[in-house]
Amino acid sequence: MPMIDFKHVKKGVRRPDGELIVTGRAQYTVDIELPGMLYAKILRSPYPHARIKDIKIERAEEIPGVKMVVTGKDIGCRRFSFLDTPTSPADETPLAVEKVRFVGEGIAAVAAVTEEIATKALDLIEVEYEELPTVFDPEEALKDGAPAVHDVIEPNTTTAWEDFGIPKKIRSYKVVNNISNKTLIEYGDIERAFKEADHIREDRFVIPATSHVAMEPHAAVASYQPTGKLDVWLSHMGYEHKRFWLAKLLDIPVSRVRVHKTYVGGAFGGKISFFPYEFIAAYFSKLTLRPVKITLSREEVCSVCPPSRRMIVTVKTGVKHDGRITAQDVKVIDDVGAYRSSSPTAMYLTHTFRNPIYDIPNVRHEAYGVYTNKLYTVAKRGHGMPQMSFAIESHLDMICEDLGLDKVEMRLKNFRKKGDLLPNGDTLRSYALPECLKQAAENIGWKEKYGRKRFRGLGIGTASMFSGGHNFPFGSAAIVRLSHDGKIILYTGQTEFGNGVDTVMAQIVAEVLNCNIDDIIVHSGDSEVCPHDIGNWLSAGVFISGKAVMNAALDLKEQMITYAEEGLRIPADGLEMVHGWIVSRSDKTKRVSFSDISKYAIQKAGGDPLIGKGYSKCVPEVYFWRGEFNKMASLSSGKGRFTEAYGLAASTAEVEVNPETGEVKILEIVVADDCGTPINVTSVEGQILSQAVMGIGDVLFEEVVMKKGMVRNPNLLEYKIPTAGDIPKIISIIVDSYEPRGPFGAKEVGETARAAVIAAIANAICNAIGTRLYTLPMTPDRIQKAILESERK
Amino acid sequence: MKRRTVLRVNGEDHELLIKPNRTLLEVLRHDLHLTGAKEACGIGACGACTVLVNGSPVNSCITLAVDVEGKEIETIEGLVQGDHLHPLQKTFIDHHAFQCGFCTPGMIMTAKALLQRNTVPTEEEVKKALSGNLCRCTGYINIIHAILRAAEEIRKSRDAHD
Repeated sequence: MPMIDFKHVKKGVRRPDGELIVTGRAQYTVDIELPGMLYAKILRSPYPHARIKDIKIERAEEIPGVKMVVTGKDIGCRRFSFLDTPTSPADETPLAVEKVRFVGEGIAAVAAVTEEIATKALDLIEVEYEELPTVFDPEEALKDGAPAVHDVIEPNTTTAWEDFGIPKKIRSYKVVNNISNKTLIEYGDIERAFKEADHIREDRFVIPATSHVAMEPHAAVASYQPTGKLDVWLSHMGYEHKRFWLAKLLDIPVSRVRVHKTYVGGAFGGKISFFPYEFIAAYFSKLTLRPVKITLSREEVCSVCPPSRRMIVTVKTGVKHDGRITAQDVKVIDDVGAYRSSSPTAMYLTHTFRNPIYDIPNVRHEAYGVYTNKLYTVAKRGHGMPQMSFAIESHLDMICEDLGLDKVEMRLKNFRKKGDLLPNGDTLRSYALPECLKQAAENIGWKEKYGRKRFRGLGIGTASMFSGGHNFPFGSAAIVRLSHDGKIILYTGQTEFGNGVDTVMAQIVAEVLNCNIDDIIVHSGDSEVCPHDIGNWLSAGVFISGKAVMNAALDLKEQMITYAEEGLRIPADGLEMVHGWIVSRSDKTKRVSFSDISKYAIQKAGGDPLIGKGYSKCVPEVYFWRGEFNKMASLSSGKGRFTEAYGLAASTAEVEVNPETGEVKILEIVVADDCGTPINVTSVEGQILSQAVMGIGDVLFEEVVMKKGMVRNPNLLEYKIPTAGDIPKIISIIVDSYEPRGPFGAKEVGETARAAVIAAIANAICNAIGTRLYTLPMTPDRIQKAILESERK
Repeated sequence: MKRRTVLRVNGEDHELLIKPNRTLLEVLRHDLHLTGAKEACGIGACGACTVLVNGSPVNSCITLAVDVEGKEIETIEGLVQGDHLHPLQKTFIDHHAFQCGFCTPGMIMTAKALLQRNTVPTEEEVKKALSGNLCRCTGYINIIHAILRAAEEIRKSRDAHD
């Protein structure tokens, strides 16, 4: 690792926008009010699967204050989806057109002068349904003769990929056995490896959906101008995806859709995709020429917005006597619900996120997305990784127990190594996972405590995550402008949703130009003002957009130095930047201020205002253009390059279980995270703590309970998340591995730890009770039942 | 039927004509444009809408506006004195006690009520006071530190004035 004396990065920096937040002045989408605003509400299906025979809206239209009522038929089949490629065409529509596929799907919408009137109008819309046979279990849905959730999905627009120049034409998708998507990744010789294995074990895990519970509910404000311009305020995670769909579905040029900067009250993956309510707000605004706001209630967020993916994971592993893993066969069934959303991506990620952890020479990974008549599902912090880490790390613990192996040593034996080339061509240039596990084990006192006390248990988990990928919109850019008062203005398309990204980007600029962070003004998250940006998904923010920001600052620096060289008559290598000045290295009295450099360039260089430009892509050599393709990742076969850097984490946990009540007391959690250089140390620690606590909820409390297609706990009384009283001792350790391709050595940090913590707590509970649970959450009644069953045996 | 109601918010009287079924949160946000208090659950389960009524924290999303007539209502907007942030606001910034910030106004108001009745709270007492305020981002630890630190600051400044 290069020893770099950083001045502004790798420090704990307070958020310069903190005062807005602590005074209640930060403006979120729910706070936006515009003159003449209308409020919209959506009527939702009470049936999980039904044909819409008739809708009568006249009585609703007659209520004073109602400005417009629309149905699915009025809008038509304008299809959209999170993922929309030629082989996986979009399958959602803003409102159901012919039939509904889950309880809560939109049927009709009302825009009125108040929310109260809109709600009242919904009650007067009469819908006649014809109920259809339902299927809720994904394994049943796969069988011949099961009710078909979809038939043929006929695309009616081009995909984002086609618009970007991919020559593959979109085709219709005939759904067979409710299969929405399939991934098969294979390498090595799995049959032979199983034959030669000393021990083989197979386990099956069922993981429920959990809600993101971002504190700000989903909301949208849209204001269409007669000039053809659409202004929107959204609670989101990246504007390119949102404005792409708004433009396409409303037939407005992308550049005429402006996503304004707002604060976003949490996201965690739950606000990643384009939503029907966002379309409805824009559609109403376009037709009424009035601003329209739609705010979902918490009950709607919990019952109609997609939670995390429900998975059934079967894993079979072959090992040698010494614990060396030689073969692994994984089968994943992803119960996608009514619409596919991110499943094709997730099913590829269920392999590719685990891939950099253990060096397994023979692998088969088969994953299916399966439609059911349930609430559809989407990414949540780690996108598939928490489910996989729980399953695989539980399974490995059982293998260790079968063979009497130390659980830490067995994992250390199987980890990949720094510099390893993965089967798809990715290289582990930074890789401190072994160090992470060693530190996590040492801090929890693994050697001293393991197996010493009854009903006390220790557990381990590991996880990894991309630092972005080659997903739409493929890259990020940044602009850094020198103002004539010597301040720096940064334009980045990143979205501040609590990750502290505005501060991190300012630190990066401050590091390059060695100026005060308070002299940097950040404009972010505004699609009209800021440049192209990949968004805050797949942990791309710092690695891709941060690199673009760094490159923009370097470009500006070079321009400034060139003028200083000319003005001071000192060669560039004799100059340095110090606190807003360009100073001679040998004679500190020879200097020029940032402000004067700006004025000098404007006066003497034809008005040059000094603007730096930078850009970045995750894996630079990956591209497609017209007929050319280079190393593009295939979601269905796992071939091609995935990412340029993997974030990694190991966690350990110690718990105590009360065998009488089944209650769990978490005594301690240790998380060691290999995130490369932590740009803002306090933000990074914040991300780790956040994930550790989210992981507690995943293991102990959280599940979207569904019965006959209905969400039974759609509120924050019945859906419990961790509270201040649930917090144990948590130790976060940053293992700085320095990622050579990242800005100042940084890579992913916001998503890996959650999965590692889930696996660690789950394994600790099972270690404490001496038996296994194959599902989450591990509630007291499930634990009691498991203890009783194991005693009976 | 709308009713004439006078609400005293952050030391100022506001004369309003409101329906008796409207919540305090709605009136604060829509009629008085005080949008610091947030609605995140609508059923009094998360604390994002916490304001103080006669010094005690209440969930304004389940409090009727007409019921708090004649009482002192304090919202996050009333915490700043001139240019000076309240010690809790300062320590929340210093201790990185927020991420998305949506729960922060409610957290700070709950903490203010705690520190008014208990100037030397223990960590356990802070956790107990916060049990009705949900945060999904921070994991609470930095919030607890910020509150304990603010308590110390307030004690110090009182001692200095004594």
